[in-house]
Amino acid sequence: MKQHLGRQSGVQNVEVSLIDGKVQITPKEDGRIDPPQLLKAVYDSGVSVAEMDVIARGKIVKDSSGALALQLEPNQAFQLAPNDLSSGLESLAGSPTIVTVRGQLYKKPAGKKKADTSAPLKLLILEVQKKE
Amino acid sequence: MNKKLALFILLGSILTPIAQAQIKHIEMRVEGMT
Repeated sequence: MKQHLGRQSGVQNVEVSLIDGKVQITPKEDGRIDPPQLLKAVYDSGVSVAEMDVIARGKIVKDSSGALALQLEPNQAFQLAPNDLSSGLESLAGSPTIVTVRGQLYKKPAGKKKADTSAPLKLLILEVQKKE
Repeated sequence: MNKKLALFILLGSILTPIAQAQIKHIEMRVEGMT
């Protein structure tokens, strides 16, 4: 699995802990990393992902449907799952403020043996670390 | 010339934070790993 993930674009380093079943991925400084692609790579290596958490830095925007999203690059944005923290960021939509957040991008649905990794990922904000 | 320089600085200050916007870290909890 480590080799599978290490081959993905934008990945600088992969650390696997067999004891607690955790995989830490460090993206390249200037690289574009694609979380759905990483999920697929893990499944392809025969392992099931229970949860995926990210720390990301970007701008709060409203997408074409009016939903809040964290925009990382012009062509990479994650829609925010509604909660108190995402509501608190609504006033920043469209502003040049850059926020750093920790959030959950994927959680395996309860009861399902195989999750659908092709569904669009929503970011559930767990912590707002910085506003610049 | 000064006008061009000012425009360059302005564009740089607008684009720099966007260029730094990215995923900083990913952590996954996996099941079935041996």
